[in-house]
Amino acid sequence: MNKVMTTEEAVKTYIHDGDFLFIGGYICRTPFAVIHEIIRQRKKDLTITRSNAADDFDMMIGAGTVSRFIGTFLSLGLYGLGRCYRRSMEQGIPQKIEVEEYTNLSLPMMLLAGSLGMPFIPVKDMAGTDLLKVRAFMGDNKFKLIDSPFDGSPSVLVPALNPDVAIVHVQQADESGNAQIWGIGGDCKVGANAAKTVIVSCERIVSREVIGKDPSRTIIPDFKVCAVVEEPFGAHPGYTPGFYDVDFSFGSFYQKASDTVDGFHAFLDEWVYGRKDRKEYIQHYIEQFGYSAFDKLKAEFDYGYPVSYSY
Amino acid sequence: MTHHPEDYSKPELMACCGAREIADGDVVIVGTGFPTMSANIAKYTHAPQAVLMQESGVYDARPKRPALSVGDPCLNPGAAMIGGLVDVMGMFLQAGWVDVGFLSGSQVDKYGNINTTVIGSYEKPKSRLPGSGGANPIGSLARKVLIIALHDTKRLAKRVDFITTPGYIDGPGARERCGLPAGTGPAAIITNKAVMKFDPDTREAYLATYHPGTTVEEIISLTPWDLKIADDVHETETPREEELRALREILDPFRMINIYEGRGYV
Repeated sequence: MNKVMTTEEAVKTYIHDGDFLFIGGYICRTPFAVIHEIIRQRKKDLTITRSNAADDFDMMIGAGTVSRFIGTFLSLGLYGLGRCYRRSMEQGIPQKIEVEEYTNLSLPMMLLAGSLGMPFIPVKDMAGTDLLKVRAFMGDNKFKLIDSPFDGSPSVLVPALNPDVAIVHVQQADESGNAQIWGIGGDCKVGANAAKTVIVSCERIVSREVIGKDPSRTIIPDFKVCAVVEEPFGAHPGYTPGFYDVDFSFGSFYQKASDTVDGFHAFLDEWVYGRKDRKEYIQHYIEQFGYSAFDKLKAEFDYGYPVSYSY
Repeated sequence: MTHHPEDYSKPELMACCGAREIADGDVVIVGTGFPTMSANIAKYTHAPQAVLMQESGVYDARPKRPALSVGDPCLNPGAAMIGGLVDVMGMFLQAGWVDVGFLSGSQVDKYGNINTTVIGSYEKPKSRLPGSGGANPIGSLARKVLIIALHDTKRLAKRVDFITTPGYIDGPGARERCGLPAGTGPAAIITNKAVMKFDPDTREAYLATYHPGTTVEEIISLTPWDLKIADDVHETETPREEELRALREILDPFRMINIYEGRGYV
């Protein structure tokens, strides 16, 4: 079944105010094209999750689309703390979001439980820390402490997460949504498969035959997918292995812009609200920074080699 | 005879202190900066069989330049395996296969508890920090945890404002009582002034060695708890020639370690 559509259509059709979203991308393959479209369509009251969030989540919080964050971490990495996140938590600008805090072990495990159709999963971390003393909107359901029914040892149980929609950016997918990645996986596979449906954004749409040449790379089967959008450079300013590198200077540009509320809104006006779609965004990038800066981001080497599945 | 060059920086000394805590064959989970440099110095000197992995899913990477994040694309080509968080944090770390982890934080207390969540109260934060990320599971589950910190009365605390990552919590037996695996926990706090280790009876950090250029008295004045001093306290061994060569020529030709001087590691 052909599920190819534009990002605008996918967001309009499948993302609703109040939804719970998993947004893939652990530094790499962040679905920025879709994130910008969510902001552009002024979606409201979203709950968002992923391990290790960065400029992507910071931007959604600053734009006022988010009410709740099930997180582990939010920082701009080399560029320090997330400015919009801090303003939200310290000063309530644009609103104080509710945060449920976990870790880079427990949150992926909760998504794993969700992807396996289990109600909860035990984890061995968080014990003894203040992470177990603070709760927000999940209340008593943030975690439970029990003695293991098998050996009596104290155990932390965390609930499964089943987001309404997962949004992931991948290297390639076919028209019906079989999605393939290579390189660092983060929590993308468990997050996508825990969700009720998935929007796949990809660098290129390929045929089912191409998918079948390397089926071990597929992390999401097409029956879980509701929409496929083709967005070359869709993860910029992050990277997609085999396609382009991280744009460090744009990272610094975002940090400087988001240092102040006015700067952040000027950034949104220029790069999100002021651009109709990803194509215009890339055109604007080239106008602002020059074609050679854009060209320099492209991956230079192909380190990969084809494997054989013959028998 | 071991040669100790005169010209080295404080961050280089700290990276070497970390390296010396790694044994040959250790499985080491690393973040960027000091951990990567320490683990690689160890690998190029006394611990060639040590293996490094990043929480993002990478095992035994062979990057051509220093990684700027645990998800840096330079970690992809040439790695022995790439999976995801459930692989590294679940199957390797939680299952008990990681020997050494490195952590840093905005506050560290005498039991090695670390705060990366909030300065001030949780509800009305003076400063909202990034959160746990991979720190809590690494601090909870790695056999030996090395903590990197700036040595001043703001970063070191009697008691952290928020325990994001457990050290010895509130003293002997506390980790085991709440279900953390036996035989895990902080082994050393490496600062820009000293190396502190943990007393096996009280679980408090005590002064083991002081770096050249400082004194025991200065370190006591910069440490906000009643710091105990090791009977055999002595000056920290300065970087050996082969450690510096590994760091400068192989691991960090662009001298990215210099950014730590700008962050106060002097």
